[in-house]
Order: sequence, then structure tokens, then C-alpha cells
Amino acid sequence: MKEGRLRRLKVKISNFKLKDMLDFKNLPLRRDKAIDSAEDKVIQTDFPINSNARALHPAVQRMVVSRIIERGASDARTLILTTEDGKPAAWFRAGQYVSVSLKIGDSRVTRPYSISSSPKLTKDGRIHITVKGSKNGFVADYILKDLKEGDSVLVSGPEGRFYHDPLRDSLNVVAVAGGSGITPFLSMAYAIRDGLENFNLTILYGSRTEESILFRNELESITEETDKVQVVHVLSDEQKPDFEHGFITADLIRKYAPEDYSLFICGPQALYSFMESVVSELNLPVRRVRREIIGVSGNMVAGPCEEEVFHTITVHQGPYRFEIKASSKETVLVAMERAGITAPARCRSGECGWCRSKLLSGSVFIPSENDFRRRKDKDTDHIHPCVTFPCSNLEIEVPRGDSEV
Amino acid sequence: MAAINLQKAGKKVLIVEQHNLPGGCASSYVRGRFELDPSLHELAAVGSIAKPGAIRRMFDDLGLNVNWVDVKDCFRVVGRYSDGSPMDITIPSGKDELIAVMEREVPGTTKKMEKLFRLFDEINEGLGYFSTGENYNLRYALKHFSNMLIVGSHSCKVVFKALRLPQKCIDILSTYWSYLGVDMGRMSFLHYAMMVSGYMTEGAHIPAFTSHELSVALEDKFRELGGQIWFNCRAESFLFDKGRVCGVKTAYGDVACRYALANVNEDIVYGKMVPKEIVTSRLRRLSNARKQKYGARMFTVHLALDVPHEVLGINDYSIFMLGSADSEKEYRDIMKGFDSNNFSILVCYNVANPKASPEGTCICSITTFGSPADWDNLKPEDYALFKTKCAEKLIAQLKERTGIDLAGHVEEIAIATPWTFARYLGTPEGCVYGHETADWDDIISRTLQIGKDYPVKGLKPIGAGGPRGDGYSSAYQCGEMMAAMVLRELDEMEAGA
Repeated sequence: MKEGRLRRLKVKISNFKLKDMLDFKNLPLRRDKAIDSAEDKVIQTDFPINSNARALHPAVQRMVVSRIIERGASDARTLILTTEDGKPAAWFRAGQYVSVSLKIGDSRVTRPYSISSSPKLTKDGRIHITVKGSKNGFVADYILKDLKEGDSVLVSGPEGRFYHDPLRDSLNVVAVAGGSGITPFLSMAYAIRDGLENFNLTILYGSRTEESILFRNELESITEETDKVQVVHVLSDEQKPDFEHGFITADLIRKYAPEDYSLFICGPQALYSFMESVVSELNLPVRRVRREIIGVSGNMVAGPCEEEVFHTITVHQGPYRFEIKASSKETVLVAMERAGITAPARCRSGECGWCRSKLLSGSVFIPSENDFRRRKDKDTDHIHPCVTFPCSNLEIEVPRGDSEV
Repeated sequence: MAAINLQKAGKKVLIVEQHNLPGGCASSYVRGRFELDPSLHELAAVGSIAKPGAIRRMFDDLGLNVNWVDVKDCFRVVGRYSDGSPMDITIPSGKDELIAVMEREVPGTTKKMEKLFRLFDEINEGLGYFSTGENYNLRYALKHFSNMLIVGSHSCKVVFKALRLPQKCIDILSTYWSYLGVDMGRMSFLHYAMMVSGYMTEGAHIPAFTSHELSVALEDKFRELGGQIWFNCRAESFLFDKGRVCGVKTAYGDVACRYALANVNEDIVYGKMVPKEIVTSRLRRLSNARKQKYGARMFTVHLALDVPHEVLGINDYSIFMLGSADSEKEYRDIMKGFDSNNFSILVCYNVANPKASPEGTCICSITTFGSPADWDNLKPEDYALFKTKCAEKLIAQLKERTGIDLAGHVEEIAIATPWTFARYLGTPEGCVYGHETADWDDIISRTLQIGKDYPVKGLKPIGAGGPRGDGYSSAYQCGEMMAAMVLRELDEMEAGA
């Protein structure tokens, strides 16, 4: 400190400079006094904000399959899941999914399923999900053939962002659904009917035949109860009066869409591939198109792992180390699940990042459509195993699995 | 930061992280084609390459490559002065620049502002002298830092008045209050002086790839040094032997250790993770004296927009929109709840960092404080509707006060509330700042009582709940400081053994 500067600066707080200095010296005493005068009682560790957050986003919901509704020609089942303790299930936004965790053989596997019921039913401890059969569907096969009423399942809290947001989306939503991709829209339709959501929903629902339409009666009854929901069935393999025929094209969307609308798309991979050119033809801004990402892109076959080859993956998980076999045709996550490792997983589409792991060595292929990694993670060899295919032997470090989910 | 410093010193370190990501608030998330930062507005103490500040030095010394981006001006303030006249002023970085701007806005203040800055200089030198930890010479301190000793126990409000700063000048200088979440009537002037002079001399910075860039750099360096991280693994409690930490109970099982450094709010540590018999009466009284007055709980609307910021008329990196020039009134209004809260901050990352988002787009956030008055009794089924209503108000206020209209350009939106922070951080009431650093519990008083506040052997606090208080820079500095303290104690133990 320069002397000159010191002389120029003379701060005065009170008339007693010494008292101010003593006050500073006595700061610890002042603090001690405040602490000593407080009550010696138990420290509070839980607060309403924290318990509310847990209620909205529980790590796990223990549920029972209270009823199974067979969907006949659709090769699908609706599972009515009820909380084990009878308490309300976690509230969700219509369009969200849950990650269902099942123990099949030695494997603990998860699958994301959109909730198809109204959020209102959570008050009774209920949510509905619908599972459709699929080629090589290991978990779907189990659910369709082996799961019974009364079985217990572990269910995550609600996840995902495929819902209507009034600050982002148009008041009018045109929904394009294919097959079991109707489920989030059914939930939205219920929510509109129940006054929980406020937007106009026009569903263009593609099915192969009239018989294979899922939730036809439910959708009809909703449209009778509210004029905010409209449903147009589009049959690809049949031509019938009162039904649109063919595929969901740009012309068909224009026919039913109001002037301003958001386009929401949910369905199998084939639908997304088809809709690419449709969306481009419609010339909508990016913000007006939302897709529910389901599973890994079919484009992985175009990657470098064309031939099926088997590799060894060394997995470090907490204090444990595993060596497992992995096919180049399956994701790293599936390889871990097959080997009985409980790995973290939620969306299984690369989007949520819950399985983010460190690639310590080896090369991998990640389909660009599923590559939602953070920019810095891409530079630093972090991967999302749910959409990552091994192209060589790998060494990875993965987070602890959700043993409960 | 603590773990790296310990690992680098040759200790065997394990990080037990409850989340599947490193960093807590220093993170990011992806929405569509955008990557958004959940918390960082700007970092202090980074400095330039030529004149590095403490944080840049810390990262450089560890060989961490961070792409620092300079935030040119500190911020723009829009509101009304105490006398009711309109306030719209851009606070620049740099002491001379601020003094010049202040002179233009409030003529005749140059001398007083220079005096204020000289006081800041003295305080910084004085704090540097006292924080060496060596025995200080009272006579030397009285001679060189007498002004610091005079103002040291007082609040900003008292010192500003004593310096006879014009009210308009005080109104402008008070806008910094929200960075610490404590109004000027209760904020220690020394704390304020450290922060503001830091911003003035070293400017503000952000990492180019969101604050996740900082965390991932630390994560990878720690691993490279041989450290181990268990992600998605909660530390449940601390284990003790003869009154000293000997291990941690984790989701994977018990882990033996000589030291545990807890980046966990103190109330959770002493209320939940440490056996009752270890928790002293003073620790319980300290918690209860604080009356669960936690620092800032944030409410932030994150927006990814489908046009460049220039098109929207956003030309400032951050705009503070005041409800009142009186920070004590502002604080009271915020705590009453959202209806009376008229304070918010707009940050547009692209103004400082053109590559913050894809070309032709930009990323913004609008932040205010959340009050338990709103978020304590809200029902889960009303949550989405309420947070949307709050976000609508902030977006409407932005338009009304600055003319910036975001309508029709929102491509992605995420609204973070105190519930969101409670979900991901697990902190009491979703606070991000630990306990308020105010009045008798200000940062200076806490620092003077570190030994008394943390009496449990083998257990050290780090992070926002630690003795240096909130904020990115403070958390990193606290980590470094606590690592040094542990190393010193270990040396002493080994010497004594």
C-alpha cells in the first residue's frame, strides 16, 4: 500500500473510528452470540420443496399389473399398472413415458413406454401403457406372452418432452401416429377432455387395416365428449368409406390442418423415414415439428459395423470389473443387459443421456440421428451406450445401474 | 477441484457422485439441436491470458484446456431509480470505464467513485494479508488497512452512505446484489468489494461449450491422474472410529478413508449423514440460528430461439430488469412470491459466444428467484401450469421493459424451478447457494471461524455449502483451499505419528 494513497483515503463510518475497528475485531464474537442464542434442537433435513420434487419425479414406482387388456388383431396388450401401496402415481404431462424395468432370466432390462392414460388416473394410483409385438422384441415378447396380472414391475418417474408446451407450440397440434405410436396422443386426448390441457388436437392415425386400429372406441368416445379432439383414420392396406386410404402425405396433412399448427410425430421407424420428405414438403419451421424418439435408428446398418462381429467389452462399474461379449449389431447397453449387468437406461434412444459413460479405449459407431451427446462429450470420448455399437474391443466406465429401476 | 488437487499430491481419491454427470449446477443438457447451460451466467476471477485471475490460473496449472470467452460488458440495467426516473445503463468492465459511465449518468461522482475503488484496493490487499494464515502484525495492519478495519463489520448500505455517494450512484452499484442473493442492507461490504472489484479488474468470462466444459475437463483430468469416480452412487452417511471419519457408506457398500470432503449442504451432512453423537451442540445451534435461510432458489426459463439475437434486438449479454432500485424492497417482494416479484435477468449467450448455438439461432435464459411461498405448497398436478404462468410473465415483462419480443421464435423451452434443482441437486429447498451469506453469518465472519464451524475430524466441506459461499469461482477456490488444508493436516499427522 502506497503511503500517499493511504493518506488520501480516510473512510469514516461513525464518530468513533476505534469502535468500528473493534466491531470488525469482534465479528467472531457477534457470530458466536447469534449461534449460542439459537435453540439446540434437531437439524431439519427435509423440506416441502424437496418432498414435492420427489413426488413429481420419484426414482422408482413399485407397481402391480392389475389388469391386462388384450388388443386382439393388433398384437398388443394394454397393461393397467397400479401402485403397490395404493398411493397416487407420479403426475405426468400427457405425452410423457415411463421406463419399465423387468427381470427376465438373469437380465435386468428396461424399456420406455408412453403412458396412454389420462394424468387424472394417477390420483387413483394408475397409469396405462400399451405394448405392441415387434420383430426380435425380447422384452415385448416377454410382456405379450409371459407377464401376468398380479406381477410386480418397477416403473420410473415420468420422463420425456413429447408434450404440448403453450410457450413453444401452436394452439393447434396435428398428430401423425403409426401403430402403437398412438399412445402419447391418446393420453393428450384424454387430458384435453379432462380439462388438463388446452389445445386443439387433430390425430391422423395410420393403421394397416380397420381391424388393427388400436384404441378406436376410446378415441371415438373422446371425440364425442370434446370438439377439441378430431381423429382421422388412415388405412394403408384397405380402402373403406369413412376412412382415408394410403399413407399420411403432405396433402393429407394440409387437408386437415388449420393455418397455424405444430406437427407431432410418433410411430415406428418406417413412419419417421417416410415423414422426412413429408415434413420437408410442408416447409414448416423446425420449431413446429416434434418427434418422439423411439429406439435406435435403423440407419445403423449403414455404419461401419455391417458384418456381425463379436467383440469383448471390459466394463468398469464402481468397484466392479466385467468382461463381456458383444455383437457389433447390438448396442453396448444391450450387451451389458444380456451379460446380467444392471446398467443405467431410460430413453434408450440416445436422447436423455442417463446412461452417459466414458469410452476408455476402442472404436464405436453412433448413428447420427441418435447422437444427442453434449458437444464436449463428443470431443472427450463420452458415449451413450444405449445408441452406441462396438466396432472393436472396448473398455468403458459406466455409472451405477438403477437397481430399483 | 479438491479431488484433483489431492490426487495430484499423490493421495488415493475416490469421488462418489450421486448424479450420472459431474459438476452439479456446472453442467448442460441437450434439447433438439441446442445445448443449454442450466446455471452459469458468468464467472469471476478468470482474467486474461496476459493477466490471469485465480480461476484461469487454477485451470492452467492443472493443464486443463478451457475455451474461455470474454463477456465484454458487465451488464445493462433497466428499471427506475429511487427517485422514480428511468434507469437504463450499461455497466462496463474496467474501473476507469465504470467511473466514466457513472460520471455521465450521475455527474460529479468521479472523485467519490475513485475513493470507492481505492477502498476496494485496500480491502483486497488487506484480505490478502490476513488470508496468508500467518500471524499478522496489528500495527502493520492498522497502518496499511485501517479503512478496511473500519468498514469491515458494516453492510454495503452503511458504507455507501458513509462515502456520501449520491442515491442514483447507490442505486446503480446496488444492482450487483442479486449475484450474491443478499440485499445491500445485509451484505457485508467486504464481500461486495471482493466481488465487484474482481469483475471490474478481471472482467467476466464463460466457457465456450457451457459449464459442462469445466466439469468434463475436471472429470477427465482426475481420471488421467488415476482417480476413480463412481457415478449415480449416493454417499449415504459417514462412518466414524473414535470420533474421526473412517469411511463412507455408499450405494456400492462401505468405503474406508482417512478424509471425507463433502460437497453437500451442511444441514444434510450434520442432520442426516453424521451420527447424532458426533454432532456437537454448536453445530445444531448454528443450523438453527440460520433458521433454514437458504440462499438463492432459482427460477429460470431457458429458451432456444430460431433467429439470431440481432434480429430480436438483443445486443447485451445480460440485462438486469429491476422491480425496485431498493435491494431490500426487491428482496422482500421476491420472498413474498411470484405475484410481487418483478426482478429478472436476461442472458443471451450468443452475444458473447457466437457459437453458443447453430447458425441462425440463439440461446437465452431469463432468471429470477423462486420463493418457498410459491413452491412449498404447490400440488404436482398444478406444477406445469404454474411454472408456465411464471415464464409467461417473465417473457411479457421482457417485452414491456426492453421491447424484446420472443414470441413466435421459441424452438425449445425448459423451465427450471426450485423443484428442478431439488430433484437434481438434492439441496434443501432446491437452493443453489447454501445458507445466505448475510449479517452475522457473512463470508468474512464465516472465514474467521472455519475451525469452529467444522469441528468433525476427517470431514471437510467443499462446494456452495462450504465456507467460501456460493458461486462457481468460490466453489473451485474452496475445493483448492480444502485440499491444501487436508494435505497440511495429513502431513502434521504423519509427522506426529
